[in-house]
Amino acid sequence: MIHGSPRSPILALPEIFRVTVRQLLGRRRTLLLLLLAALPLLLAVVFRLFDRIDVHRYSNSVFDGVLIAIVLPLTAVLFGTGAFGAELDEGTALYLLAKPLPRWAVVLSKAMAAAALTLLLTVGSILAGALVEVIPAGEAGVRATEAYVGATVVGGLCYVAVFVAVSMFTRRALVIGIGYTLVWEGLLSSMLPGIANLSIRQYALGAGDWFVQLGREPARLPPETAVLLSIVVVVVALALATWRLMRFELSGGTD
Amino acid sequence: MTTAPVVSSPAMDIAGQPPAIELVNAARWYGNVVAVNDITFSLGPGITGLLGPNGAGKTTLLHMLAGFLAPSAGTVRVLGLNPSRDPSVYRRIGLVPERESVYGFLTGFEYVRFNARLQGMRDADAASRAAIERVGLQDAADRAIGTYSKGMRQRAKVAGALVHDPQVLLLDEPFNGMDPRQRLAMMDLLGEMAAAGRTILFSSHILEEVGRIGTEILVMVAGRLAASGDFRAIRALMTDRPHMITIRSSDDRKLATVLITHPAVFAVELQQNALSVRTAHLSAFRRIIAEASQRAGVRLTEVVPADESLESVFDYLVHR
Amino acid sequence: MSAGNRVAASSPAGSIYDLGYRHYEGKRHGRWFAAWSLYVDSLRGIWGFGRPMSAKAAPFILAGLYALPAVIVLAFSSTISKSIATGETNPLDLPNYANYFGGIGTFIVLFLVAQAPEVVCRDQRYLVLPLYFTRAMGRLDYAMARLLSLATALFVVLMVPVIALFIGDILMSADAFKAIGNEWPKALPTIPSNLLIAASMASIALALSSYSPRRAYAAVGLLAYFLLVEFVPLVIYGIGHEAGAKWVDYLPLITPITGLSRANDWFFGTPIPSAFPSSIGADAYILAALAGTLLFTGILMWRYRRMPV
Repeated sequence: MIHGSPRSPILALPEIFRVTVRQLLGRRRTLLLLLLAALPLLLAVVFRLFDRIDVHRYSNSVFDGVLIAIVLPLTAVLFGTGAFGAELDEGTALYLLAKPLPRWAVVLSKAMAAAALTLLLTVGSILAGALVEVIPAGEAGVRATEAYVGATVVGGLCYVAVFVAVSMFTRRALVIGIGYTLVWEGLLSSMLPGIANLSIRQYALGAGDWFVQLGREPARLPPETAVLLSIVVVVVALALATWRLMRFELSGGTD
Repeated sequence: MTTAPVVSSPAMDIAGQPPAIELVNAARWYGNVVAVNDITFSLGPGITGLLGPNGAGKTTLLHMLAGFLAPSAGTVRVLGLNPSRDPSVYRRIGLVPERESVYGFLTGFEYVRFNARLQGMRDADAASRAAIERVGLQDAADRAIGTYSKGMRQRAKVAGALVHDPQVLLLDEPFNGMDPRQRLAMMDLLGEMAAAGRTILFSSHILEEVGRIGTEILVMVAGRLAASGDFRAIRALMTDRPHMITIRSSDDRKLATVLITHPAVFAVELQQNALSVRTAHLSAFRRIIAEASQRAGVRLTEVVPADESLESVFDYLVHR
Repeated sequence: MSAGNRVAASSPAGSIYDLGYRHYEGKRHGRWFAAWSLYVDSLRGIWGFGRPMSAKAAPFILAGLYALPAVIVLAFSSTISKSIATGETNPLDLPNYANYFGGIGTFIVLFLVAQAPEVVCRDQRYLVLPLYFTRAMGRLDYAMARLLSLATALFVVLMVPVIALFIGDILMSADAFKAIGNEWPKALPTIPSNLLIAASMASIALALSSYSPRRAYAAVGLLAYFLLVEFVPLVIYGIGHEAGAKWVDYLPLITPITGLSRANDWFFGTPIPSAFPSSIGADAYILAALAGTLLFTGILMWRYRRMPV
């Protein structure tokens, strides 16, 4: 009954990626996120309604204040904690683990699925808003768009990796993610500048600076540092998640 | 209650290869609670039923064999490998867990193919179709699993577990939710696989399932292995409990008077139209009954062991 | 057949035995008692009483963080009063009754995001609503009891810093009794103001949370609402105001925290900051807050009325 000899199981990863994407695109979740992602576009339209093409203002309030600060972390939290969500909640982890696959590969493909969806939504959102409001302003607008796309990519990857890892250690990952976003990055960063070194939002913004100085108050993190720290964060988070998956144990239940 | 020195089922070694499943002094505890307590056995090709009341540790044991729980003590080896350390063992084992959930949004076919692809099979589509046919789900294969009945979901899980043609198959309460016809079909399937040289271990607390599918059993009670082997052989070993045999004959009373004189016979009870005999030595009794009835000039119509069922074996072991 | 069985029913062919189960013959309280019991139970649940320690962590920590500035002022009251006397610290920079909520309202949002789902989502997830709805209490009573419990809990959270500030002010002044007499009327407006804040935010939180049986999604949806309805109108207002449009003046009315802070201005008689449209007086914010409360309470009731169980 064997159909051909098995090839390398690493090629099975796209399958996990595909199934995870389908898992994550549940109805309500997607709807909520689409609404969120549409906001920059909406606001861009409002700006145009008032005959304003103001790259600086729009970037600061919408890209910075709405997208990077709110839409990006929320999207990443939902997709990141959802990546292993079903497996942890309902015990379907067996089907992934009882396979001749290295654990890091499982973590990687799931995280990539979550990251792909997150970036699709957020970058798409930026481009939509930018096309309406910012790019018509010319060179400055294009550079600003590049900057924020870069910031979103870096930030998105970090957030997703971290939230995937956290979701493997606690069932309250979602609330913790929210608390982190609001309290740590929101409140504290403005009060205590030292925190910039530990804030994903600052990594993202710092990375964006690579493209163009966006004229924010003292750029908290130089671009090189930001990107470096992001890489460290992603690697450490995924390593932790892998370690946790290797320690995954199924109790006997009620037998 | 003595701790059971385990009688291993004959490990049918194929030319010096390690037994398919082997546990040596395996134990697993959580803090103060010991779920699996010092278990030793080895299994080869064929079907073995793992029997035990709820809470006996069957699922824990199966999870240890599947590598999801490392043993707190002792060793667990499947096909010579340590399943909790060595993911490559999964290429050759299939697991059908008890918990129902599967990815509800996938169709039956997609689910089986998911498993096939993750096993790295070259022709996942064809293998999946074959597996689906084996469990009889062809008609529903293109519907989402979320719409399946419980029995269908079980069959989907089994299909997913055997799509890569594993050497060892571990099933946890596989007949849950299946109607009698599906159960028979599944038993036939398992029987076929066993005949082809696969090692199959399934757990159940439904005695008639186990009794029907094969005679090799492992009985777990409160984390320990209470017995292993052919259940009839186990019955014969239960020497501290007299066997009971029901006899119908042309003259029960006369036969009774003859039988009671034999030292092998413990007690004799006359019932409505049968004779109930208790003997401690089944083999001895087998020899004397014919002779006794001849001496009494009585014709035997029926001689039936009254408590050789798996039920009574189980009952005895659980309540020891 | 054992002798001495009490017989509940008997016929020549068989009997049913009375196993001694007792019937309840006492008083049965009605709807209000049921609603009251639910209210109390709900309130306890919000604070995590009757649940493991981990359930107490979130509410107490967040409430504590909200009260923190006031407690710090209280703790350092002697130092602060000295530095006011020397002119180092301007008393207007300190947290006071009027500006407290506006300054640190984020923690209220966090408290709600953490606890509001706890109140309404579990019953939906575990499908126990029929157990409630088929008793003396009806659907709307259930919703109301839950809402009142959350509002009460929120009111408590809001009042703790008021008490701390009150005590702090008294400690900072020379004459305690005179101070109490002076402080008292200044602190009084906090009660209606905090009642409004509690009612308004609790109704929003519960109405939105009730739409999802899964706590995590309710929490995210709630957070998204509070963050976005807070900032987006203000952004649009900013732009529109410059462009000279008049209709944008009404936008700040719908923001939860900012709107309620402006409503506070009415209670405390403080002037509205220049950043906000002068055409809209503080009383408009109060009306908006009340209207919002009614709206969301209505949504909550509607949700429970139509909830499929």
